[in-house]
Amino acid sequence: MREIASFEFELTRNITIGQYLPTGSLIHRMDPRIKLLAFTILVIAMAICDTYVGNIIALAFACYLFYMSRIPISYGLSGVKPAVPFILILAVLQLLFYSEIASGGTVFVDYGFILITSDSVRLVIVSALRFIEIIFLSSVLTLSTSTTQITHGIESLLRPLKHVKFPVHEFALIITIAIRFVPTFAMEMEKMMKAQASRGAEFGTGAWWRIIQRTKDVFPIIIPLFNVAMARAEDLVLAMESRCYTPGSERSIYTKYKAQNMDYMALLFCVLFTVLLLAFPFPY
Amino acid sequence: MSQPFIQVEGISFEYTINNHKTVPVLENVSFDVHPGEYVTIIGHNGSGKSTLSKHFNGILKPLSGNIYVDGLNTREANLQREIRQKVGMVFQHPDNQIVATIVEDDVAFGLENIGVPSSEMKARIDFALDAVGMSEFRKRPPHHLSGGQKQRVAIAGILAMKPDCLVLDEATSMLDTYGRRDILDVVRRLNNDGMTIVSVTHHMSEVAEASRVIVIEKGQIVLDGAPREIFQQYELLHQLQLDVPLASQLARLVHEYDNEFQADLIHNEEIIQEVMRLSAKRGVYVG
Ligand SMILES: Nc1ncnc2c1ncn2[C@@H]1O[C@H](COP(=O)(O)OP(=O)(O)O)[C@@H](O)[C@H]1O
Ligand SMILES: [Mg+2]
Repeated sequence: MREIASFEFELTRNITIGQYLPTGSLIHRMDPRIKLLAFTILVIAMAICDTYVGNIIALAFACYLFYMSRIPISYGLSGVKPAVPFILILAVLQLLFYSEIASGGTVFVDYGFILITSDSVRLVIVSALRFIEIIFLSSVLTLSTSTTQITHGIESLLRPLKHVKFPVHEFALIITIAIRFVPTFAMEMEKMMKAQASRGAEFGTGAWWRIIQRTKDVFPIIIPLFNVAMARAEDLVLAMESRCYTPGSERSIYTKYKAQNMDYMALLFCVLFTVLLLAFPFPY
Repeated sequence: MSQPFIQVEGISFEYTINNHKTVPVLENVSFDVHPGEYVTIIGHNGSGKSTLSKHFNGILKPLSGNIYVDGLNTREANLQREIRQKVGMVFQHPDNQIVATIVEDDVAFGLENIGVPSSEMKARIDFALDAVGMSEFRKRPPHHLSGGQKQRVAIAGILAMKPDCLVLDEATSMLDTYGRRDILDVVRRLNNDGMTIVSVTHHMSEVAEASRVIVIEKGQIVLDGAPREIFQQYELLHQLQLDVPLASQLARLVHEYDNEFQADLIHNEEIIQEVMRLSAKRGVYVG
């Protein structure tokens, strides 16, 4: 039998959700509602902007946000690293098969079904840049905002939807509980994997391309994990009902945010930045 | 005596499985819990303790008979919120009763449910976290806490709602010795401040501290009285697969050997005192 390094099972160590890094910067102290709003606007801007210059400016801005939030940029880079294979595969596919969409510009290669033009090259490079920008931006958001602030922020941003009968609080509660139980289940899974491994089961020993084999390996874990989840859910419902929770009834709110002038300034800046990115006629 | 806080009047209960099969669990159970009492409920696994405790706040409704909490019938749907605010419940698994991603939000959960105004919440949360000694953890995520600390947060979430009675269903059974001791300290302090406690437990040392113990077997009450009286019924408890505290066993054995040694001791300290008393009487110096 192969020696199993214990770290293979330490799932709890690899959980990045809610990887909050408090540095007390201006960005950390922003009203989470405004921060989420600004984030959304910027992501949309980055997703639409399709010029070289625009995207380089956006990337520079995303890097500057790391500086502003006093978070080492290495955190952003480690977010990009696992995405690199996807970015590369996407780039190759776009280069080979997107020529019909981006057929304009100078033709570089025209060989059989392969048609590479300056437009398709731009599409590839801009897509890769967008990927990196958005990962950077999301990293700054999650590193500077606790999961609690994010869920509270989402809840109060969505609150107006209550008028159209959207169950805003229930929605936020589901997200909160999901986040709350991620570490619990990771721990549970770790225990089960260790228990199975001690009886000779092997995890993650097949080569990475043997997807079916590796999926099969996980089956003995999934069923018991599902059972545990159901039992926990039942318990949780009891505990919640015991604390007077009745879905759909009127509740009061503990965490209230009050946006400061700084927050509005930041939002305004992001809007102006977006307008610049999208409307300015960059030469490239 | 004072007006009882919980009145259990001849309740029966059965679970229905798959719409036709029924499992009778409680049979004609009656008793009262008075304000300020510390009642423990013991009985072996499956005897119906959890089922009974879920009746105290109306999570389960009796099939027949009635339960009154501070005079309110648990059957009435419009009294449900008031009853659950008066009777708080702590469950067995520390992990399965915390809903929020940080401690203070979890304590706030119950307050939000009963519509406590935001302006009042902070003071209540401060009070509750302070009462269980968890104030410095208020901004922490629950998965960084030990089992005992999680249970204390669960208790804080209930205390913030200002209940009159705390029901604990094996709340210490998943904890290590330290965690258990912390919880028992909190519970004892709350009881000294006048809160009514009903605690289902397997730990006879906890039972010894209570003012009263109810023994249930197959959904019926078989013994009900002060721990000191109940632990005298060694044979019966043994038949029911229940233990007595170590001090009690010891006192009984020594008593068989030496008649003068009192048999009805239930606390460790009492054993020491008894040994001192007898040795002094017989002119032997101990200590
Ligand atoms: N939700 C349920 N559905 C069906 N039967 C149940 C349910 N909960 C408990 N029981 C049964 O009721 C009996 C009493 O259970 P319980 O009150 O949990 O006992 P205790 O807490 O004393 O161990 C047991 O036989 C158990 O199998
Ligand atoms: Mg039970």
